[in-house]
Amino acid sequence: MSITLEQVTKRYQGQPVVNDVSLEVAEGEFFVLLGPSGSGKSTLLRAIAGLVDIQHGGIALHGSDVTHVGVRERGVGFVFQNYALFRHLSIADNIEFALRVRRMKSADRRARRKELLKLVALEGMDDRLPSQLSGGQQQRVAVARALAHKPQVLLLDEPFGALDAKIREELRRTIRVVQRELGITTVLVTHDQEEAFALADRIGVMNLGRLLEVGEPHTLYARPATRFVATFLGAANLLLALQGPDGIRVGSTPVDATGRQAGPAAREHEVVAVLRPEEVELAADRDQLATRYVGRATVEEVQFTGALERLRLRLLDNLAAIQHGADPAEARIEATRTQPEQRALPLRPGDTVVLGARRLHVLPTPLSSFVVHADDDDTARALHADPVLATLAARMKTRVATRAGGDETAPQSAAPGVAVLATGADAPARVGQLLRAGANEVLLLTGRAELPRQLCIYWMDNAARGATLAVAASLLRHLPAEAICVSAAPAARRDARRAAALRALLDARSEARAAHALETRTELLAGEMPQALTDYLASLDTPLLVLGASNAAQATEMLEGILRKLPDVPVLLVYRETP
Amino acid sequence: MIRILLIGIALTFIGGLLFAPLAMVFVSGLEHGLGAWFHSFTDSDTGAAIRLTLLTAAIVVPLNTVFGICAAWCIAKFEFPGKSMLVTLIDLPLAVSPVVSGLIYVLMFGLQGWFGAWLQDHDISIIYAVPGIVLATMFVTFPYVARELIPLMQQMGNDEEEAAITLGAGGWFTFFHVTLPRIRWGLAYGVILCNARAMGEFGAVSVVSGHIRGLTNTMPLHIEILYQEYNYVGAFAVASLLSLLAVVTLIVKTMLEWRTGIRHH
Amino acid sequence: MISLRRERSVIPGFGITLGFTTFFLCAIVLLPLTALVMKGASMDFARFIQVITAPRALASYRLTFGASLTAATINIVFGFIVAWVLVRYRFPGRRFVDAIIDMPFALPTAVSGLALTAVFAGNGWIGQYLEPLGIKVAYTPIGITLALTLIGMPFVVRTVQPALQELPKDVEEAAATLGARPVYIFFRVILPAVLPAVLTGFTLAFARAVGEYGSVTFIAGNIPLHTEITPLLIIIRLEEYDYAAAAALGCVMLAVSFLMLLTINLLQHWGRRRLTGGARA
Repeated sequence: MSITLEQVTKRYQGQPVVNDVSLEVAEGEFFVLLGPSGSGKSTLLRAIAGLVDIQHGGIALHGSDVTHVGVRERGVGFVFQNYALFRHLSIADNIEFALRVRRMKSADRRARRKELLKLVALEGMDDRLPSQLSGGQQQRVAVARALAHKPQVLLLDEPFGALDAKIREELRRTIRVVQRELGITTVLVTHDQEEAFALADRIGVMNLGRLLEVGEPHTLYARPATRFVATFLGAANLLLALQGPDGIRVGSTPVDATGRQAGPAAREHEVVAVLRPEEVELAADRDQLATRYVGRATVEEVQFTGALERLRLRLLDNLAAIQHGADPAEARIEATRTQPEQRALPLRPGDTVVLGARRLHVLPTPLSSFVVHADDDDTARALHADPVLATLAARMKTRVATRAGGDETAPQSAAPGVAVLATGADAPARVGQLLRAGANEVLLLTGRAELPRQLCIYWMDNAARGATLAVAASLLRHLPAEAICVSAAPAARRDARRAAALRALLDARSEARAAHALETRTELLAGEMPQALTDYLASLDTPLLVLGASNAAQATEMLEGILRKLPDVPVLLVYRETP
Repeated sequence: MIRILLIGIALTFIGGLLFAPLAMVFVSGLEHGLGAWFHSFTDSDTGAAIRLTLLTAAIVVPLNTVFGICAAWCIAKFEFPGKSMLVTLIDLPLAVSPVVSGLIYVLMFGLQGWFGAWLQDHDISIIYAVPGIVLATMFVTFPYVARELIPLMQQMGNDEEEAAITLGAGGWFTFFHVTLPRIRWGLAYGVILCNARAMGEFGAVSVVSGHIRGLTNTMPLHIEILYQEYNYVGAFAVASLLSLLAVVTLIVKTMLEWRTGIRHH
Repeated sequence: MISLRRERSVIPGFGITLGFTTFFLCAIVLLPLTALVMKGASMDFARFIQVITAPRALASYRLTFGASLTAATINIVFGFIVAWVLVRYRFPGRRFVDAIIDMPFALPTAVSGLALTAVFAGNGWIGQYLEPLGIKVAYTPIGITLALTLIGMPFVVRTVQPALQELPKDVEEAAATLGARPVYIFFRVILPAVLPAVLTGFTLAFARAVGEYGSVTFIAGNIPLHTEITPLLIIIRLEEYDYAAAAALGCVMLAVSFLMLLTINLLQHWGRRRLTGGARA
């Protein structure tokens, strides 16, 4: 492996900006780190170069650990966002800088410089000053300069950010050609998904300091595993679908879908499905649809963009299907159509059409939507305004519904999603009711203003482990928090339970990494549950407890014990009944 | 109309307050011809004053330059607690009266000062001697280079230095080949201002000098003595020499501003 | 969890430059200033008060602060006009005027004192016209004010000038399209925008004037109770070997300096906040 990152963490003033990132980049690979601004991608790149130090984890280049090696000794080539050319030096001196530092003979330097200028197609520019070149040319010089000392790794930090579209495309091609020709391992940071698709062998998508998904461009686009990747890589409609014994349904209509969880399920539950605008089929009536019917819709807006036509549609029935925003009536579906499609069925605002889905991709996330359970309006309002819930709902682009109190015994299928309750003395009892009614996840909120910084993950028995990790991973894609798996065992070193607990923790860590691309820390607490857990939670700064259980009675008992001592810790209970 | 009026007011103000006195110095200095002007400098005390002024500047300016570069480097390139406090303290001498600047050294090294007795026992004189003059001048010109460089280097950022380091350059190499060439005009600007002030300082030096003719009189102090002795020709001759220095400083400064296109304050 | 630990940077030289800076600062600036404060503090309190409230001292404060205030006020009026003319108008000799503004920075104070005295003396270039009008400049408080105006002038011009330059022309044009008259535009649009700069310039000029010695000593005549400024009084006490009295007066001057420095910092902070719109200053 050319670059190996092992659980790299970087914090600024206690806030993680790069959070437990592990990654391997192969020899000669062109890897693109993609993410919105503030996602930690540039910091991660600078950490690879050694320009920032990391608090935790390790970095290896070509098999040798460089975590504590200085920038100069790492010998990487780095291209800065604003070129950072030496403005007082000529192009020749800029390119030869690294060679001069290494005391290379002047004739050799010249030869190498000529070679590099030819590579980036800037022959004859030797004597100019950077200010005499255009932005695109300066960027080429920056690339040539970074390659002069023959680094084994080339790192580029948003190299095309300041350039206009046409030059950008041209430079993209140059960089790709140079990279292929030299076969140099390259990591490029960008926020532009088109750029990532055009350049990358593989893409890593980052958000809130975490590396969410890594994969080849077309795989990531067609089969994203997370909401963020689905919506960040191109436009996407997120739908709430139901998965049951007969497969996937959107509202009342069964549809064809792909994805890891697209098969039939024993118990019906809610899932999140991605519908790309270009996979939306529009027809005049149901008979003309080539694909499965989803619903009727009116055309609200038609936008001509050249090759494609972009439409905004409002669903007339099947409203519950759409997830965007809090109010389903406000939600819209986006669709794009090619020229032939437009000619076959010309559409104008106000027209009514039927809508089908050519391809629906089901996300493996276990968290779909939220349902607030409250006895009175005040409590409901307070819960809706809770910072943790509001942030999660906004970042997950999901719906928060409300159920008035007293009907928790209603069939579960009527209220899918995560049940949300306010913490309080009666919370454990109400959780018990909810679990008996068929709820899978219950979130207990305290009204605390700060978002959790640590996710403490504990499952009461192994049957609940997989689901607990999946829920925690899903949550962590939307919260910049640290993940810590905990278990407890008596302090005595020779106790057999200790070894078993430790093994279970390490198993969980590999499972989280393999199945959910989630890096976790592990903590083996000394003592007995729940005492050890409450003590540990009390020692944390702003924790959220993810508690996994498969026995309702045990779960409520445990909750009661924890809430009595720590009434201000939010808890997400994950319940999976053992068959 | 308003335009003409305002330009008129401005020119009269500048003319009466700035230009007339400056012209006066040269006119009075050359009143008796170039010969008399040159003759004024053959006086041994005047020569000694010029030499002392040059010596003081030769010690003070390099030291304050090194200080200014160091201060600007740590302030512009790093974040650390107490940074803004440090910047304020560096500016402090600008707000202190020159007389107080001299006074503090008298209180340190004068006969009744902190180290006075010890210095006398070891037969070292600082006050009423050259070291005192150097120290007082150093205090007064302390912030000049640092003040020019700090904002300049802050605005330049760390990108080029970081680039140099990723290319394998060490600290000194980076400083001499990347940083120094970029700050050279700002540095030159700070140095000439520092030099002008060092050569022209009156109040602080007046307090610590003791006015011993031929020994501890700098050029500005010498002007005062000549003036009090009604030797106007001599006084204006020395004054015109210092004014020449000021004019050269202004010309260099203006050229630097045109060259860099940056306005300094 | 907030750590005060400095982010480790890849740029070398932090320790040595900070160390040298701090050492040099302490040795040249802080230690001697401490000596002054200690000397003042070691005095008997009653004696300290007696020294700093002696009639001669009080007269010197009145003169020093009075003349400095007057000079700074003259400067904000004329300095503003000069800055305005330099920014807004093009006329022959503009660059020369622009360059000569900095003359008081470069010209030794002794020289400017000497020259001003010569120009404004009864037989001087300008003094000869003022004398018949009954205006005596040299060796009077007017002369002192004049000298302080000279040395403070560039501070006002050089702080107001960039503020006027950065003032977007389209704001005025917008005000004009909304029907505002020039006077209204000046007082409601231009002046509020450059007010922090004007006040900063005023404070800088005032602070510089309060401490000034060199140029004043030539033109003042140095008559006790009449044209004797505080810095001069300090020197006189020193020449009498009354170190304690000199230190006491020095402490007063130093306190004023700190006050001025504080005011300037607050003004600049205010100006920046107004420009950047607050919170993230």
